[in-house]
Amino acid sequence: MLIDSNAYVGHWPFRQFEYNTPEALSERMKEFGTDVSIVSNLNGIFYKNTQHANEELFEWINSKRVYKDRFIPFAVINPVYGGWRDDLNTCISRYGCKGVRLYPQYHRYDITNPFCVELVKLCRDKGLPVVFCLRMVDNRTSSWLDIEKEWSLKDIMPVIKAVPDAKYMVVNVANSTVLNEEDTALFKKTDILMDTSGRNITDWGDLFKRFGAGKFCFGTQSPILDYCTGLLRIESLRESEADEQAKELLRAGNVKGMLGI
Amino acid sequence: MLKINRRKFVANTVSSGAGLVLGSRLMGLTHKEEIFSDAGEKKRNLMQEVLKYRKIDTHAHVDEGSYRPEVNLDFADRLGIEKLMISDFIRPHTEGTPDDFRARNNFVIKCIKERPDRFIGTVVLNPKYGKASLEEIDRCRDAGMIGLGELYNQVKINDPLYYPIIEKCIDINWNIMMHSAIGYSRVALNLHEPENISLPEDFADVARRYPEAMFQFAHIGGGIDWENACKILKDVPNVFVETSGSNNEANMIDFAMKYIGEDRLVFGCDYSFYQGVGQIFSAKLTDIQRKKIFFENISKRLKKGGKDVD
Repeated sequence: MLIDSNAYVGHWPFRQFEYNTPEALSERMKEFGTDVSIVSNLNGIFYKNTQHANEELFEWINSKRVYKDRFIPFAVINPVYGGWRDDLNTCISRYGCKGVRLYPQYHRYDITNPFCVELVKLCRDKGLPVVFCLRMVDNRTSSWLDIEKEWSLKDIMPVIKAVPDAKYMVVNVANSTVLNEEDTALFKKTDILMDTSGRNITDWGDLFKRFGAGKFCFGTQSPILDYCTGLLRIESLRESEADEQAKELLRAGNVKGMLGI
Repeated sequence: MLKINRRKFVANTVSSGAGLVLGSRLMGLTHKEEIFSDAGEKKRNLMQEVLKYRKIDTHAHVDEGSYRPEVNLDFADRLGIEKLMISDFIRPHTEGTPDDFRARNNFVIKCIKERPDRFIGTVVLNPKYGKASLEEIDRCRDAGMIGLGELYNQVKINDPLYYPIIEKCIDINWNIMMHSAIGYSRVALNLHEPENISLPEDFADVARRYPEAMFQFAHIGGGIDWENACKILKDVPNVFVETSGSNNEANMIDFAMKYIGEDRLVFGCDYSFYQGVGQIFSAKLTDIQRKKIFFENISKRLKKGGKDVD
């Protein structure tokens, strides 16, 4: 089985995407053998009221029966915007969201903002993972209207310290994964997955040694990044680096475990 | 460009470069079985597909620090890259003296002597030192190197200082590969850029001045605004556009195909091996187009210069 832990539909205001509709994503999945995609709506990054994006996603997924089987929706919640607690409840109970994506940089709040911490605790209590993306796009070639700062792994640590018993996903690991000794120990203990789309997922030998194969899962960052590279990182592992059982965990097992599916 | 940060690799996954055999045997990947998804659909065997294409990485680096030859070969082996065009580029914000570029070329010569089956050496130089640069071309050619690259930021590609070097490369049919810049992607010049970066407009300018010269515009995935670059280089037939870089944005290859075309695109990694290969398989390309991009386009140029990779 193959589960893409990091896909989007929706619009990016600074560049045209080709595979950003449910139909186009579904075609990519068929082409590369992806059984299921965790999907969220890019519009939620740019709408002030993110709930409109969650409503859109719900409507898109329900527009065809096959989408309900192939897409797992994750909500976009902005915890510094009014009504977010109601939005979260609606996303879980009505829209079937199995996780929450947060965009502190785009929504302009600190990762340890009390409302962010409260949201993460609520997700923890409901068993939902919280997703942070280290960068949406490469800042070198991004639009002059886009944010410039990219995160590295250490930028996620403050919220993990605040809520160490929550579930986390860190996607598009494009920058440094270096953590100090204390943070490394905490990171290892935390229920957390990193997807394979990011450019820093290169040195598997070192990453497995530092974090263990149980900390990674297949992801594409589609439609922003090419669909194949995240999968190639897994499929090109040698038997001595990851046997078939370990590869299955990377392809689907680890993310299934996190979502309880 | 943030060259160092994106090239960290530790050797504990490295196998010996010796005795390597190309093709699917590289990884013990001889899967012939058909794989089906949970939904019962036939799944493509990605590695079988990846390994079936002959590949020349037209943008690779070696040195004794971040870009060790054995690490290059380890990546190349797992992804079926048959040959790598290697250089030890003059670092940005350095003077690039003759002593510096000779030492860098010497290391490349050592590498190609050790692995002539895998490495193709390309020459770095600095046109500020015109006489020494021209002599370096002769010296390196005698040692078996072919082509220039990766030329860096010491002098703009369309600066008159480059003219005698380009004219010499025309005489000997050498490919000229130069770094491309992040440049003005965000309107203002990127703060990390040296003064003399070459912009797509500079490549177009010099290529029109020397239509018989063979240029290679490096890494459209290297941080430049690739849509802007491809549009500027659309009508400059003697510029190859190379696909390497860490920024494997979806649609980049498809867009480049539309503007540059299958006969002018060449595959490269610039140490971003997974992205370099992955994006070619993500793009909507025919088998013939992949063969051209991975191997045939650059092999034709190399043959003009006297290197028959077949």
